[in-house]
Amino acid sequence: MSHAVISCLHANLAATEAVLADIDRQGIEHITCLGDLVGYGPQPNEVVELIRQRQIPTCQGCWDEDIIDGLNSCECSYPSQLAERRGHRAHQWTDAQLSEENKAFLASLPMTVRRERLLFVHGSPNSQHEYLLPDMDAFAALERVESSGANTLFCGHTHMPYVRELSGGSIRVKVKQAGEEAASERKLELPMRRIVNAGSVGEPRHGSTEATYVIHHEDSDEIEIREVAYDIERTCRAIVDGGLPEVFAWRLSHGFEYAERADDASHVCER
Amino acid sequence: MAQTWLISGPPGCGKTTWMLNTLKNHQGQRGYLRLPGISTTGLEQADDGAIDQTYLQDQITDLIDLSNTDQAPNDQEQQLNLIELTQFEPPSSSALEGVDSSVIQQLEALGLRLDRALHFGRDDDLPKDDTLEFSRLEAWSMPLERCVWDPNSLSSFWFELVNGAYGDVYRAKALMNLPDGRAFFCNWMVSQGGSQFLPLESVAPPDGRPKRCSMLSVQGKALDGGGIQATIADCLLSDEVLELHQEPQRQQAELTQAL
Repeated sequence: MSHAVISCLHANLAATEAVLADIDRQGIEHITCLGDLVGYGPQPNEVVELIRQRQIPTCQGCWDEDIIDGLNSCECSYPSQLAERRGHRAHQWTDAQLSEENKAFLASLPMTVRRERLLFVHGSPNSQHEYLLPDMDAFAALERVESSGANTLFCGHTHMPYVRELSGGSIRVKVKQAGEEAASERKLELPMRRIVNAGSVGEPRHGSTEATYVIHHEDSDEIEIREVAYDIERTCRAIVDGGLPEVFAWRLSHGFEYAERADDASHVCER
Repeated sequence: MAQTWLISGPPGCGKTTWMLNTLKNHQGQRGYLRLPGISTTGLEQADDGAIDQTYLQDQITDLIDLSNTDQAPNDQEQQLNLIELTQFEPPSSSALEGVDSSVIQQLEALGLRLDRALHFGRDDDLPKDDTLEFSRLEAWSMPLERCVWDPNSLSSFWFELVNGAYGDVYRAKALMNLPDGRAFFCNWMVSQGGSQFLPLESVAPPDGRPKRCSMLSVQGKALDGGGIQATIADCLLSDEVLELHQEPQRQQAELTQAL
């Protein structure tokens, strides 16, 4: 059996439809969504309703959280005044567009979705706002997976798809008890763990304009990163027609994220 | 006797850079003047403000401003005067007779007489690369005096500007102030690989808004002036935010003085 993992749809209906069609063509029935259904993009209601209609298990992303709880969790991680103002503008626009019913749906989303030893989160098991970057410290990365009790951790948020295997790790502990002459030593061999980032459906940031998602082939335990072309022009037109900043359309059509990531991507806002 | 040379060429061909290097290497007194460019049908001249003048003056502190006839003599022994002129088409003749009569008149009014006239893309004494031929060119500019940029926002804005978010930009240059008192000469040309960000030597004190010249000048096609202006408004610091940057600098300066 295979299942698909999608993330960071960002109110991009054309991209979401194209990815779901790609999944359907392969006969994959099980899909998990890692959140950020809304934010920056022009069709928040349509994307939320599509996910609801398809009954796709979804965890809450940082944008989904902010649109419910108010914009007080992300702003300290904006890398520039320009990014902050654009982010606020997008937040206000999305807040005004989104129906109460769809807001209630976003509010109901869990932080994590678990299936046996697979854990699905938006950012990290600690927070929707934490970035698990592909080059983050291996020990810290392993800690995130191990402490959540998962073998494989599926995340999004960075918009860059990757598969990172954490293997060959060991911890050596020396303990000297009172009254003992020599310290006793214990070595723990850490099992292989894996972090899989699903990339982004609606706001790719991996150097191409194509939407990305991943397929987990459970029989072989292999991960396949998929890239899907979609009608970007349709989304760009909706951005302009909807009254969002036109520069969002330009950025999306050139494969640039709407707002840059913070310099310190590991920063987690303390609300 | 002084030598007075007219250096002409299309936008972004490297006039200012060549003049800066030439003046820096000259041992005698040095003078500079930028003339309003000669327009051609469909080819709009950029409003440079005083970007080039300010940058050159910053790099060569004793540079004589030839537009100010009261400031200093322009005909000292060993003096080199360079006159900058944006001109799309090469002059009809390589000799001084090829120089536009309106240019001669402007120079005469300032007491200047040309000894040489060199045009980029034509004369071997000037670098040959990076000379573009334009068929149509719009110009857009925005004065930014006393404006101070959020540094990361400036970086994002410049990236968007030169990569086409606000129209097809062929040429962009600016003097931009940062909250720490530094200013940068930002320079980009479509034919070159990347942007130049050259810091000015003079640093303004961390005490409010700097008074130096600051301006953005853009040339290209289908320029979205409204879009540029809106983005710039999101990048500029308010008085309150500027003070948040400058107060620690003042405290640090006081501490350094006390030590």
